[in-house]
Amino acid sequence: MPMIQRKQVIPGDVVAKGNYRYGSYIEKRGEEYVALRVGLAEVGRDGIKLNPFTGPYLPRTDDEVIGKVVDINGFGWVIDINSCFDGFLPASFVFGRDFSPATHDLSSKFRVGDILGARIESYERSRDPQLSIRGEGYGKISSGEIVKISPTKVPRVIGRRGTMINLISEKTGCDIRVGQNGVIVVDGSPDGIVEAIKAIRLVEAETHAPDLMSKVEAALGGGVVGGN
Amino acid sequence: MMKKNHVVESITKERMVQLLASGKRLDGRALDQPRNLNIETGVIPKANGSARVTLGNTLVLAGVKIATGIPFPDTPDKGILMVNAEILPMSSPYAEAGPPSEDAIELARVTDRGIRESEMVDMTKLGLIPGKSVIAVFVDCNIMNVDGNLFDATSYAVVSALRTAKMNRYVVKDDKAVATDELIPVPVERTPVSVTIARIGDKLVVDPNSEEEASMDMRITITTDDDGNICASQKGEASTISAEQVLQAADTSISVGKAIRAKILEATS
Repeated sequence: MPMIQRKQVIPGDVVAKGNYRYGSYIEKRGEEYVALRVGLAEVGRDGIKLNPFTGPYLPRTDDEVIGKVVDINGFGWVIDINSCFDGFLPASFVFGRDFSPATHDLSSKFRVGDILGARIESYERSRDPQLSIRGEGYGKISSGEIVKISPTKVPRVIGRRGTMINLISEKTGCDIRVGQNGVIVVDGSPDGIVEAIKAIRLVEAETHAPDLMSKVEAALGGGVVGGN
Repeated sequence: MMKKNHVVESITKERMVQLLASGKRLDGRALDQPRNLNIETGVIPKANGSARVTLGNTLVLAGVKIATGIPFPDTPDKGILMVNAEILPMSSPYAEAGPPSEDAIELARVTDRGIRESEMVDMTKLGLIPGKSVIAVFVDCNIMNVDGNLFDATSYAVVSALRTAKMNRYVVKDDKAVATDELIPVPVERTPVSVTIARIGDKLVVDPNSEEEASMDMRITITTDDDGNICASQKGEASTISAEQVLQAADTSISVGKAIRAKILEATS
């Protein structure tokens, strides 16, 4: 098994020297790979990764996000996707190709304040991300409580192959939906929701603690139902 | 793209209204319970007086500057008091740099009115040479984090800063006001406390946070003094309020104000 070295870095720190493949938030200066963010750097056989501790959500095509309708214009809905960019859901994606602003009423579908599960259809730097609700499970979310976490912590909340989120979900009996943009909708019994939010907050607070799974399990109490 | 207003998620608002019907709030407070209030004074060494106030997550910094000035023609023997407030662009995603917004102007005016109309500072003691020179008290507030109810947080910051402010004693020599080295407190007579109450549906809630503010139908800010006299009030937002609810709000502002006044007095004495 390849050794993975992890270390906390601040901008300017040299993460590694040599020849590696490297991802975002890292810059190559000569032989040295320099961190550009505060975060946890991972140096493994297959390259260098830097997971920043904080940061905005940067949209990527095919990400599943949860957004909030903040505005309606003639051609679609403006969606707050907890990012530095606003998402846009074109009306033609919802009403079909024969959409016309004169005959279709956009607010009959989604109103300002509605929560949507959506997919990033396309995104490039020169334009705001375009959303789509085509596909199963996308569209308006009509119940539940909203929790916002830092988008950089989403992978930990989900866990390896969804173990963390399944654990919380099974222990609390809640339906939990996590958007890649750091917006989470928790639905279930009132007590279950409170417990689930507590667990999510715990994961957020102790993102980089070792053995986080068992900590969360202990916080939720009782024997293991599913988990790993 | 610019975000103009805080839009509350419709499912959150639904829950808020549901909970309010049973006398509860989203953050677990009772309807007439303000958030945690924390007051620190003397935080700006170069100002005559200062205070940093947190009300929940709302954070306000107030500073007092005292100098001599020319009195207004209609009050030649009274001092000058000016309260100003600015909402910093970093305080909220909805605040923008540039000339003050309508909200910032209203905030400054409502805070100023509460201090002025309660006659907190005895302006007659600030006169020096009638018609020529008086003591001017400037209070500048910076809103550093916005989480609803800026009116009350700012008012508490101003009151705390004024109560702890020290100024030079001025003497009149050869028809000129001269500052001496002796430091004296600002002539504070009363402790006004403003309490903001929002109406969401048919329920009145004290000290709304930003989620509640974004869902409220109307709000009323009432300032009371030590004896429970109402000295200023301001109603905001488009919707109306019934006569009974005005009376209810007035009673609440007096009772809640009493507890808050005790906290301010404790932090500033």
